[in-house]
Amino acid sequence: MRGDATRPNTPRGPALWSSVEELSGDPAFEAWVNAEYPAAATLGPTARRTFLKLMGASFALAGLTGCEKSPFVAALPYVEQPQGSTAGVPKYYATAVTLEGYAQPVIATVYSGRPTKLDGNPDHPMVQGRSDVFMQAAVLGLYDPDRAQAPTHRGEPVTWNDVQHQVELLRARWSQSEGEGLAMLLGHSTSPTLTRQIAALVTEFPKARIYEHAAIGDGRRPDLTTAAYGQPVQLHASFEDCDVVVSLDDDFLGVGPQQVANARAWSAARHRSADKPGLALYVAEAVPSATGAMAEARVAVDASRVWLMARGLAHACGVAGAEAADVSPAEQRWLERAADACRSARGRALVTSSHFGSDATASWVARTNALLGANALIGAAKPAPGAANAGALSELARDIGSGAVDTLVIIEANPAYTAPGELGFKDLLQKVRSSLHLGTHRDETGDLCEWQLPLTHALESWSDARSVDGTATIVQPTIAPFYDVRTVHQVMALLLGQLDPTPETLVRDTWRATLGDDFETKWTSCLRDGHVPEQKSPAPSIEAAATAVAPPFPDDGLDIVFRPDPTVWDGSFANNGWLQELPKPLTTLTWSNVVSISPALAKLKRLANGDHVKVTIRDRSITGPAWILPGQAANTVALSLGYGRSKAGRVGDGLGYNAYDVRPVDQPWQTRGSLHKLGTSETLAVTQLHHRMEGFDFVREVTAAEIGHQKAEAPQPSLYPAKPSAPNAWGMVIDLDSCIGCNACVAACTAENNVPVVGSAEVKVGREMHWLRIARYYTGEVEEPRSFFQPVPCMHCEQAPCEMGCPVHATTHSPEGVNQMVYNRCIGTRTCSSYCPYKVRRFNFFDYRLASDAPEHAAHNPDVTVRSRGVMEKCTYCTQRIEAAHVAADKENRPLRDGEIVTACQSACPTRAIVFGDINDPASDVSRLRRDGRHYVLLEEQGTRPRTTYLARWKSAEGQG
Amino acid sequence: MTDRIADILPPDQSLGRVSDQLTGIPLHFPARRRWWIAMIVASGLLLLLVISTTALFTRGVGIWGINIPVNWAFAIHNYVWWLGIGHAGTLISALLLLTGSEWRNSLNRFAETMTLFAVICAGIYPVLHLGRPWYLYWMFPYPATMGVWPQFRSPLEWDIWAVLTYLTVSLAFWYTGLIPDLAAARDRAKRRGWQIFFGITALGWRGSAPHWQRWSQAYRLTAGLAVPLVVSVHSEVSLLFAAGQIPGWHSTIFPPYFVLGAAFSGFAMVAIIAIALRSLFGLGNLVTDDHLDVLGKVLLACGLMTGYGYLFEVFDALYSGGAHEMQTLSDRLIGAYAWTYWGAIVFNFVPLQGLWWRTIRRSGWMLLLISISVVIGMWLERYMILVTSLYRDFVVSSWGAFTPTFWDWSTYLGTIGLFLVPFLLAIRFIPMISIFESEELLHEEQEARRG
Repeated sequence: MRGDATRPNTPRGPALWSSVEELSGDPAFEAWVNAEYPAAATLGPTARRTFLKLMGASFALAGLTGCEKSPFVAALPYVEQPQGSTAGVPKYYATAVTLEGYAQPVIATVYSGRPTKLDGNPDHPMVQGRSDVFMQAAVLGLYDPDRAQAPTHRGEPVTWNDVQHQVELLRARWSQSEGEGLAMLLGHSTSPTLTRQIAALVTEFPKARIYEHAAIGDGRRPDLTTAAYGQPVQLHASFEDCDVVVSLDDDFLGVGPQQVANARAWSAARHRSADKPGLALYVAEAVPSATGAMAEARVAVDASRVWLMARGLAHACGVAGAEAADVSPAEQRWLERAADACRSARGRALVTSSHFGSDATASWVARTNALLGANALIGAAKPAPGAANAGALSELARDIGSGAVDTLVIIEANPAYTAPGELGFKDLLQKVRSSLHLGTHRDETGDLCEWQLPLTHALESWSDARSVDGTATIVQPTIAPFYDVRTVHQVMALLLGQLDPTPETLVRDTWRATLGDDFETKWTSCLRDGHVPEQKSPAPSIEAAATAVAPPFPDDGLDIVFRPDPTVWDGSFANNGWLQELPKPLTTLTWSNVVSISPALAKLKRLANGDHVKVTIRDRSITGPAWILPGQAANTVALSLGYGRSKAGRVGDGLGYNAYDVRPVDQPWQTRGSLHKLGTSETLAVTQLHHRMEGFDFVREVTAAEIGHQKAEAPQPSLYPAKPSAPNAWGMVIDLDSCIGCNACVAACTAENNVPVVGSAEVKVGREMHWLRIARYYTGEVEEPRSFFQPVPCMHCEQAPCEMGCPVHATTHSPEGVNQMVYNRCIGTRTCSSYCPYKVRRFNFFDYRLASDAPEHAAHNPDVTVRSRGVMEKCTYCTQRIEAAHVAADKENRPLRDGEIVTACQSACPTRAIVFGDINDPASDVSRLRRDGRHYVLLEEQGTRPRTTYLARWKSAEGQG
Repeated sequence: MTDRIADILPPDQSLGRVSDQLTGIPLHFPARRRWWIAMIVASGLLLLLVISTTALFTRGVGIWGINIPVNWAFAIHNYVWWLGIGHAGTLISALLLLTGSEWRNSLNRFAETMTLFAVICAGIYPVLHLGRPWYLYWMFPYPATMGVWPQFRSPLEWDIWAVLTYLTVSLAFWYTGLIPDLAAARDRAKRRGWQIFFGITALGWRGSAPHWQRWSQAYRLTAGLAVPLVVSVHSEVSLLFAAGQIPGWHSTIFPPYFVLGAAFSGFAMVAIIAIALRSLFGLGNLVTDDHLDVLGKVLLACGLMTGYGYLFEVFDALYSGGAHEMQTLSDRLIGAYAWTYWGAIVFNFVPLQGLWWRTIRRSGWMLLLISISVVIGMWLERYMILVTSLYRDFVVSSWGAFTPTFWDWSTYLGTIGLFLVPFLLAIRFIPMISIFESEELLHEEQEARRG
């Protein structure tokens, strides 16, 4: 619009929307508004800003119909470059994102003030540079367009000033009543600052009540350790010191805040030496898991019988008072093997049990460990100090029901969605006179609360948090908040009556006492290192209590277990497209959850994958698609939490079923119920249709005895002459004995390489775009299979069939041996993919790019081209990282060093299963692994001579487990 | 051989009457009503192609059912099918011209016309199937400023040249053969417009002895070029598959297997058209039962040779003993797409056995049904070769599935429109049976009878 500079034309809707943003900050426009609407001119400054904002919003509505104005519409170059930053050269900040309140210490890569990639903090004692899927995907959550962008009152946008007025009124009320009627519901948090603030609030208003609700949290860990040791403790098993680990339904390698630490320790133990497996794992579990897949011997045991196995193991190990269990022959065989292994590795053998399990299991396991001398390996620690005497959600429900709650403040929790259905929490919420929700999204709870106060994402926040091992990290912002949001500490300060303290001050105040003298220096080093050096509180001495009872399961029926979802966790990641599209490890399912059932139950009920079933627990039921999971215990049904959301946002709404609906308050992890076939079915978005290995040797296994006797095979002959190599020749070796199928590499690749999210419908027709897939296979019987994971990126074949097929030279071979993809030369014949024996190429069947004003756009890695429609793409070995390293080395006039180039998948891997490097350098890690006895080539007989190769899985000498 | 089939045309007809009859078809079109109905249907299909192509170019190849691993499906599959159909025209005309099999003279014109339009239908698919069709020209070796050339190792690059050469030679051969008849039509045209149209297209043909001599040389030379092209084009098409390492494709039997399959489907299509035209225009005197008899025999021979290809494909897989080859074989025989394999076997070879009997070969309806069955069977065969190899290739974790979408079908049906519309125009405006060749044959027969 080219209007009069001093008097803009009257906005008329669609034709004008593009000019609105120019106008809203324009003094002439304001002057015109003042003249047109004299009432607006008399409002206070904040109110007028609101007014203008509302005007702006309605203009946007008139023009764009429902699209929120994105703060990322235009990228403008600097006129003057800021001091200390170079465009295109990223900066790195140590900070943390959180999972279930626990810190996930990260290094954020920030381009021009815009975080694009998170990786584990290498200096942090727990993660040591490794990551998991949530850490990798957290950066997309920052740019989630469905985040709450301004405070709302009953759904109407308001200002923080209005919030402040309301809080003043509330504080006046609380002061009179000493906080009577004030209830605070907290999500699981480890933030010392939040703890400090809550304590201050309780001091000020002593009658205020604090409740805690985490949909997953630590599971039943406090109860279990109380049953086993008489006190609530945290457990951090020292797997690196173990030779034998027996897991009773404990998926310690599975997803969760502890995954990175456990996976790292487990693989360190497993690969102590190159010529034999360093750790033997025995797993009895109800639902197949990553841990079960890595086991030497695994047996499927129904959830309600796990405690019997625990007692049986205790008996076999000679624990006093343990009776032999009445078990099946397969279970007996497993018990004997596990017990033998434990006895022969006394002092270096550890038995673990699930934090979702029963008291009886925990108790027998504790006594077995005591007998095996494994108490030192358990790694008991004091739980992170949280809010003192916090009540449970059911108590809050009771108190609301009795009218004892007048004002409810909900901090970073979503009980309207995650509360067990039988509590009827949504209705209870309406009974509260005044309710405030503090959260990043106006989710199910925020929508029902009177006030929704939007919080900053961790990457915009000053805060602090502890990782599962208790190490604290200061959370520092990597970007200024781009919505009208505040940190949780700022809002707490508001509730405490402090006027507008800076977010940093609130966190500094917490740590001033801890860090002591020379605070500024120590503070700076804490920020730089990403963790706070603290005196660890001494480990509590633990002693196994001698009493235990069998878990009562009065009702007949199937065992129903609830499990966190491997990609959306408790549902809080539901609006994250990267995580939704990430295949869940054992099913390769995306975008939904399933009712996983055993092959035996499927046969009994005549169910096929995708058939709708109704699961009834007590008098509540849910309906979802069935999935037959090979290796699941016969009478166990697993429900996955985190789906069925209605207010997650555009990505996460309306997917799957909501398992919280049927979750009993008293048995949140394991209960009894029934299952019925409904007669309808659906197609599920799985990325791998076939899981049985069909007798092929894609994943190989070797025993320690075989290892020396394999002779290296000469490569298949080729008619083509050998290509001359550049000084560096890149190769990758993937250790299948280390891969736990966690998907961190896939998530990292997605983030690093701007891999598009295509949605459930496209995944259903086989068009997911991941450059790296984790193939999942099983062999043997479906009832008791052996499971395998195999990451499959581009093989970068030296004799690549794809290169021969392309008519336009769009895929070529680099002198360093990388099979390159020239996007802008590709015309999309797809010949390369047809000829690819590994089918690792991905095609842009449609234009999968984001609209240019989508906020997620800002998460793109500026070093990687975004691909258009009709173009083939695939793994590049992170060529941008190779080139960056070349530039760095050239600047210093030196050759590249081994380990200088780390691919995104490699850096994310929690077990260091992926090694990348120069195969021309005989001393490099990758060359050493290529000489390893376990080294093999996928489809070697095809003569493609891949640069990506594998190390075989270790097989126990006894053969089948 | 010429002697024995010498009286394939009934001798009791005059040369003038044959000329009148054949030139009369475009000039006084006998079946206007049926032609218009056919034309409306064909135009509808062509419109469908326009809509499908518009949707394809605006949205992308994702509107089809293709995916990873089944990158190639309907587009390549129908490309091969149409090209195969096209080959019979060339074979009938050129090969039989060179071998002096004069019975071809009643069939060659429309067979060549069919070739031309089938090759066009085939030819648009490689363009449609591109992810970025607007860069098609990168397949050609033009002097690009960046100094990049096409990749000459790629079978797709060979394919472009093979098909373009084939199209050019087919066009030249078809037009050369048409010249004397265009002149005949010119001489009989009454209306000014027709006179000018045929006058120009006849290139000044006067029928003098030097004309005939040069024409005959040119015609035979072009035929000599066209015959090896049939073999090279379809061998090349088979290399699109055989050059890849995918089990079920990577086999040396593919070139002859594809060429024979192409001839098989092509002759079936010739039979369909011959029977249809014969009944439409009452040409029983020129396309005789003896013609059908010969066509039936050729069809049977091609079918048996194609069947040999099937057998040896299975033998190859078994003999190689390769685990992946065996897997693909079992996928074909009993897998999710086994219906395409068994469908191909049944449609191609079961009704075909009827052709052992002379009465069936000479019955228009029976031959028509068998030919339709063969065309369907060969379509299923192409589907089978593509999909059953790709949907489960080497690595189990990449196994997928393919389901055609609405747009797959609409594009395919649309190309049938693209074939029929120009073909219907051709039978409306061009003598569909070679006048002079029929007359020559008739004359020779009459001479022989007298002599």
